[in-house]
Amino acid sequence: MADQETAAPGGHDHDHHPTGWRRWLFSTNHKDIGTMYIVLSMVGALVGGAMSFMIRLELMDPGIQFNLFGAGEEAAYFQFYNVLVTGHAFIMVFFVVMPAMMGGFGNWFVPLMIGAPDMAFPRMNNISFWLLASALVLLLVAAFTQGGPGTGWTVYPPLSSAEFHPGPAVDLGILSLHLAGASSVLGAINMITTIFNMRAPGMTIHRMPLFCWSILVTAFLLLMAMPVLAGGLTMLLTDRNFGTAFFEPSGGGDPVLWQHIFWFFGHPEVYIIILPGFGIVSQVVSTFSRKPIFGYLGMAYAMVFIGFVGFAVWAHHMYTTGLDADTRAYFVSASLVIAVPTGVKIFSWLATMWGGSISFRVPMMFACGFIFLFVMGGVTGVALANAGMDIAFHDTYFVVAHFHYVMAIAGVFAMFAGFYYWIGKMCGRQYPRVLARIHFWSFFIGVNVLFFPQHFSGMAGMPRRIPDYPDNYAGWNYVSSIGAFITTASTLLFFFIVWRTLSAGEKVPANPWGEGAKTLEWTVESPAPFHTFEELPDMTDKQAAE
Amino acid sequence: MAPMRTDNRKKNRLTAMVLFTVAGGMVGLAFAAVPLYKLFCQVTGFGGTPKIAAQPPAAAPSDRTITVRFDANANPALPWRFLPEKTQVTVRAGEPALAFYRATNLSDAPLTGTATFNVTPFKAGEYFSKIDCFCFTEQHLAAGEEVAMGVRFFVDPGIFTDPNTQDVTTITLSYTFFPAAGGDGKEGEKPQQAKASAPAPVPVAGSPVKG
Repeated sequence: MADQETAAPGGHDHDHHPTGWRRWLFSTNHKDIGTMYIVLSMVGALVGGAMSFMIRLELMDPGIQFNLFGAGEEAAYFQFYNVLVTGHAFIMVFFVVMPAMMGGFGNWFVPLMIGAPDMAFPRMNNISFWLLASALVLLLVAAFTQGGPGTGWTVYPPLSSAEFHPGPAVDLGILSLHLAGASSVLGAINMITTIFNMRAPGMTIHRMPLFCWSILVTAFLLLMAMPVLAGGLTMLLTDRNFGTAFFEPSGGGDPVLWQHIFWFFGHPEVYIIILPGFGIVSQVVSTFSRKPIFGYLGMAYAMVFIGFVGFAVWAHHMYTTGLDADTRAYFVSASLVIAVPTGVKIFSWLATMWGGSISFRVPMMFACGFIFLFVMGGVTGVALANAGMDIAFHDTYFVVAHFHYVMAIAGVFAMFAGFYYWIGKMCGRQYPRVLARIHFWSFFIGVNVLFFPQHFSGMAGMPRRIPDYPDNYAGWNYVSSIGAFITTASTLLFFFIVWRTLSAGEKVPANPWGEGAKTLEWTVESPAPFHTFEELPDMTDKQAAE
Repeated sequence: MAPMRTDNRKKNRLTAMVLFTVAGGMVGLAFAAVPLYKLFCQVTGFGGTPKIAAQPPAAAPSDRTITVRFDANANPALPWRFLPEKTQVTVRAGEPALAFYRATNLSDAPLTGTATFNVTPFKAGEYFSKIDCFCFTEQHLAAGEEVAMGVRFFVDPGIFTDPNTQDVTTITLSYTFFPAAGGDGKEGEKPQQAKASAPAPVPVAGSPVKG
């Protein structure tokens, strides 16, 4: 490794290479910050995953299993259960998927892929990360404050108003989201500026790898959705503490207004989660099919289109609020339209594989897993987009199964695909292949056993966010919890693989994937040196990177 | 290399400034959503928001009738008895009607309340117009005082021609009284369930008489 470092291009690493804690706390290096994001995401995954495991333990059998607060204190335990549900959602969304995709892989590989030496605003990059880390601490503090916020991630008033959550827990949660939102907006501005202004000569926007496209679209969604959440949260905060009545009917406000504001943010937010996954999967599928991606421009603009339409479908989360028939008809049609660009993406991935020289390395396995899971969730999404069906399925486990397939586990599969694809580039060592394959299969089986039966529970009418249920739901809930055990074991195996990779993985060359890997990050050695592309690469004559 | 970097720096700052403006604008839009949403509800009758009319309609009333039911609620924080005098009336569309509610302050302190309102089904909000209503202003009630409060309204005959509202034969007008916010509301900061000390509640004409 030492000889590799001395061979780094522009070998003046010692100039800007602080060591020890200063290297991380004060970091302005996109790779170090990316690494910190990935570590934060792993910590978040352990906490958020533990919460969901506790939920599944409680739901394994009918009745109350683990009343930690003793007999007669059921209300406190139910609140605790709601806090678990809330914490699981917030942590998985804001502190696992977003940091891994945008912060982790985005920071690491956008500058590398476009041939930029670093992000446009390296110090702002540092602020983004530490704001997010503080937000996570604040959220955990909230969970342990006076019963915690048991509002669900949607934070609907009146449940979230001072009447039903009188303590400071919800206020702390709101402040945590404010910090996370600020972090995301700063990160998004950084990404957009980097992608617009710092591409290497010849790297035109239409030659940019699809992963960069996905990050660009995601950054725009963040830029426009997060401030709306911030506005809504501020209103909620002043409603709770300073006597305003934005969502308070007694003062002329309307709680449904919160739902509109929240979902105007919330729907783009789910695309923020999954779009970078599209990008990762596009790179992986192309690499391991040894073909350029099929329909590059269609793929790029499908993401742009998804981003636009994502802002115009929010009320499909609110069919039960009493929208009239015409409004529902609009939101049904607009939501169904999203199936078109996502279909373009799915078919383009398949067409990329078609006739390709496919090697099923672990990243490719996870990418295929992603496509399968995303299509599963997409199909139930098309069903749920219809107001007539959704009114029956609203707030049941069918919805839970749908969004876990389409964004949660599909997102996690994309993250794993990205991890196995790029870990050699990030740390210079390859993952242990056999263990990684076991990880894929156990995880794939685990999540399907976990989430598929929830379709059945949901269709039978089992509601979300309630710790107890009638006996007739017992069977599929038991199966679902078995799936949770498999998934948990598989997750622990993943952390073992991380440790094995870092401690005993075999050294990898600059490009371990062969001729399919054409993007710029594979032209620098592994691990990527601290400083790259001080001399901008000239892409003028090269083929469009795929 | 160096001049190119400074060039980039300028360009980056400009881009970032534009993007910060966009983010700031979106925060502004979130707050602008509050008055816009209110306006939207008033204009379209969204969520069962009744219309407010200055005048009864000039056109002759329709022959078809519609039933209007009256619902009354008082928030537990406001110790008032609040009931409609009649639970329902049948009116001709386009003809103004007057209905009364009766409110009694059950506490031994003067209280100020303000009422929120809407109609169900929500889609009827567009066709339900109020000309005059006690809910437009705050209501002050002395300890034990009982008042009758009127609402003058009409149902727009358009309700019979809109395909969306063909199935509406009954509209329910609902009110909920809350303690008024601000200085006056403080009179009721200690809401006492002082039913005993209040004068005997006046019997309220709540029998289901047809209007």
